[in-house]
Amino acid sequence: MVPGILFLALGANWVIQKADRSHDIPIIKEVPDFIFHDQTGRLFSNERLANKITVLDFMFTSCTGPCPLMTSNMTDLYQEFRNVMEVQFVSVTVDPLIDSESKLKEYADFVGVDDDRWQFIRSDLESTKDLKQNGFMLYAGELPQGHAIKFILIDQDGNIRKYFDGTDEASLAVLRKDITNLVKELRS
Amino acid sequence: MTSFRNFIFLSTGLTYLLIFIGGLVRVAGAGMGCPDWPKCFGRWIPPTSIEQIPSHIDPATFNIVLAWIEYCNRLFGAIVGLSITITLFLGLKYYSHLPHIKWPLISAFGLTLFEGWLGSVLIDTVLNPVTITLHLFFALIIVMLLLYVSQEAYYLDNPDAEKQSKYPSNMKALFGLLAFTLLFEVILGTEIRGGLEMIRKENPMVNSQFLIDMLGPFKYAHSILGFFITVLCALLWYRVVKQSLNPSTLMVQTSTGLLLLIMVQIITGEVLVFFDVIPLIQLFHLWIASWILGIISVQYCAWKRSGLIDE
Repeated sequence: MVPGILFLALGANWVIQKADRSHDIPIIKEVPDFIFHDQTGRLFSNERLANKITVLDFMFTSCTGPCPLMTSNMTDLYQEFRNVMEVQFVSVTVDPLIDSESKLKEYADFVGVDDDRWQFIRSDLESTKDLKQNGFMLYAGELPQGHAIKFILIDQDGNIRKYFDGTDEASLAVLRKDITNLVKELRS
Repeated sequence: MTSFRNFIFLSTGLTYLLIFIGGLVRVAGAGMGCPDWPKCFGRWIPPTSIEQIPSHIDPATFNIVLAWIEYCNRLFGAIVGLSITITLFLGLKYYSHLPHIKWPLISAFGLTLFEGWLGSVLIDTVLNPVTITLHLFFALIIVMLLLYVSQEAYYLDNPDAEKQSKYPSNMKALFGLLAFTLLFEVILGTEIRGGLEMIRKENPMVNSQFLIDMLGPFKYAHSILGFFITVLCALLWYRVVKQSLNPSTLMVQTSTGLLLLIMVQIITGEVLVFFDVIPLIQLFHLWIASWILGIISVQYCAWKRSGLIDE
């Protein structure tokens, strides 16, 4: 009887822990150091990723391909997580020659950004390529055209946790859940 | 006939295990592990990767661990259902002339089908709290019916059991009151659990102590009723062990066991309130409650058979 109960308890404990850990999202790699500027001209470096859950994408303001859909989806997320101060959004322009700070500011206003939870950041083309290719392991051969449609989830320690398809509703549904889980992790 | 006895014992044991597994699904948060019913993500065997999910189901709901936990629960439920069906078949074959075996068996079988259907309602209503409680409630009724039939089957082979014992005659009310308050206590307990889950969902950052404080009057009701049950069990022990003539070993041991289990329930309950809401302890707290109900049912059945002392 006692061994039987013990066996059940151990088995149940194993299952409960498995279930608990099934919500975990693996760490892919750390985002390397970078120093960019945001749409208001302030410095935006990787240090700003600390203690925040970040959703990051690569885009450019004059893009007509998948970008409008990505921006619209990012806007939805930005609005949804309005009350969760731990969540921030970062859009990196892959067309820094055209996308000046004022252009980014204009774009931010256009999509309805009214606080600093969503930053549009830029640097020179070389740094952008480097960050995209080596930092985020995304192809950066022919910027700005070949930019990725990924939304990248970054945790409070600046680790890349997961990539999402920024144009796909199903993928974004998973992203919403993962953001919530990371916020919970951060708060606990 | 031996085969019937084997199967009724097997069914009872398996049903107890199923109650444990059901509780495990709950504390593991795997109740919606499969968003459809009876299939899991449109498949008889759950998917092992996200590509296998049919397009009409949101892939965000897919969690391979939770899907397999829920799937094992359903699989085990099907095995228990099969075992009860075979038991019913054998019972009707050999004992259709004995109404006290036939009717509880038929009821258990009917309720088992109903439980399966409730399982599908649970999925449809995305774990409606009332339905979850009903799902547990009927599982407890089924296991008590099966225990009753097991015991009657045992007595068929041991007709002299309990015949030498004499218990106080006016205990029916005590048994009835105990069974009723225990069932009510279990329902209160599930309300507390449901309440905790709801608060946790809306406030992911609160700690356990604050969580318990937010519960309000339910937790007091559960404690007060628990105290009342403890008194009733002590009274039961006193009547069975001290005020009876030659009580059977079964009665003495189950009475003592009952008090021990009540003690375990008080300790686990207090741990949940004062330390932390630990899922494993939550699980055992509920499972032991189902044992206590079982013991009450066994004692009632034994008491009914014996010679009674008029008071």
